[in-house]
Amino acid sequence: MRRASDEQKQELPPSSSQQRYESHPPGDRPDQEPQRSHHSYTDQGGEESEDYESEEQLQQRILTAALKFVPAHGWTADAIAEGAKSLGLSVAAAGMFHTDGSELILHFVSQCNSELSNLLEQQQKLVQLGQAEKKKTDQFLRDAVEARLRMLIPYIEKWPQAVSILLLPHNIPASLNLLTSMVDDMWHYAGDQSTDINWYTRRAVLAGIYNTTELVMMQDSSSDFEETWHFLENRIADAMTMGHTAKQVQSTGEALVQGLMGAAVTVKNLAGLNQRR
Amino acid sequence: MVCAFLVNSQQLFLCLTGYERKWNLQTEQTSLRFYSTGMTLDNINKPDIDRIIRVDHAGEYGANRIYAGQMAVLGRTTVGPVIQQMWNQEKDHLKKFNELMVTFRVRPTILLPFWNVAGFALGAGTALLGKEGAMACTVAVEESISAHYNNQMRTLMEEDPEKYKELLQIIKKFRDDELEHHDIGLDHDAELAPAYSLLKTAIQIGCKAAIFLSERI
Repeated sequence: MRRASDEQKQELPPSSSQQRYESHPPGDRPDQEPQRSHHSYTDQGGEESEDYESEEQLQQRILTAALKFVPAHGWTADAIAEGAKSLGLSVAAAGMFHTDGSELILHFVSQCNSELSNLLEQQQKLVQLGQAEKKKTDQFLRDAVEARLRMLIPYIEKWPQAVSILLLPHNIPASLNLLTSMVDDMWHYAGDQSTDINWYTRRAVLAGIYNTTELVMMQDSSSDFEETWHFLENRIADAMTMGHTAKQVQSTGEALVQGLMGAAVTVKNLAGLNQRR
Repeated sequence: MVCAFLVNSQQLFLCLTGYERKWNLQTEQTSLRFYSTGMTLDNINKPDIDRIIRVDHAGEYGANRIYAGQMAVLGRTTVGPVIQQMWNQEKDHLKKFNELMVTFRVRPTILLPFWNVAGFALGAGTALLGKEGAMACTVAVEESISAHYNNQMRTLMEEDPEKYKELLQIIKKFRDDELEHHDIGLDHDAELAPAYSLLKTAIQIGCKAAIFLSERI
């Protein structure tokens, strides 16, 4: 029953993908993998949920393996096929995914974000234990963005291709989601506690900084991307200045309002209008 | 054959929704316990708690602005101290929700600047109808908010009263405070306000709309 349903799954891929009807030997038997703490999308146990859970895990493993082949093959179904082959599976396994390599890229981005989260979490623990100095906001953000962008370095040749794929309409919800949660993470660990409109402006500004720095990085040919980090430093400084200026404008505005209120009360007093009702 | 097809469509459906959910999950590695009863960032029903905290935060923020508007007009009348006292309690409520918002990493509603202006306008506008108008506004708003808190408490209790015990206690206390404000409003001649029932209905419709929007946007 399971093998029949596996083969049926092979016939489900979208029409754009090539139809490969090689019977795929279940090389690594999925249900012998150790159960990781993974969400099961079907409650009831039994064959279906095990199959589903292991299929998703299998896909994750294939995509992770495929990353090694991205520098050579780009973000394509070829890389996924090579990845599947390297795990001892048939290249037909690449039929499980779209041909444009979307899932591979999204998987990679999601992995990088998780790595970043872990890194920031560890740094936070060190600070809490008193083993590290608490960084100032601009330094923290600079380091976080730099750390995240450095994860792109092994793939930087093919990254422009990835960015253009992520901008395809059917990928935009997922990629936007990943971007917003990454930026939210960065601000959270930077110690942001805003609960007003600043919550949005800060994240929007940081997303802008991240995206522009990413673009600069793709065109940077200096050694160890020095120019990129320099650019990043300047953008963060700009953002900080903007924040300070905004605060100054606000306090000036408040002072002005106070002044006007005082003047109004004075005039009312002089005109005798200010009497208790 | 049909059976296999049905199994496939179910799995395909799960597969598709699974894909979306996969990209949405940024697995939190943190396991800090925020409350002694074990309501942590990992084990809560995040979408529901998000909504609850977001809408409550917006509500308290709006209530603050309403009282601010009322004080701006009636601050120096005899009813000033009463309004001030109710306002102080709302400030405490807002502070609590600010803390909860940071603790559970909840996004505030983007409509806050709008509630800022609308709340102040409502408070000042009803206060210009006289102290009865201000009290009528208080009665209407507090009644809406208490009913809303009751609904939330029901939802949380249906889900897991033990896990959400602390949050339930907070909401219960705030609901009791709001009911107290409601009664104070009635004591201070709210029902003598011009077009009382019309005013009250209109304000309560506005509150329902505000709650609906703040939960989602």
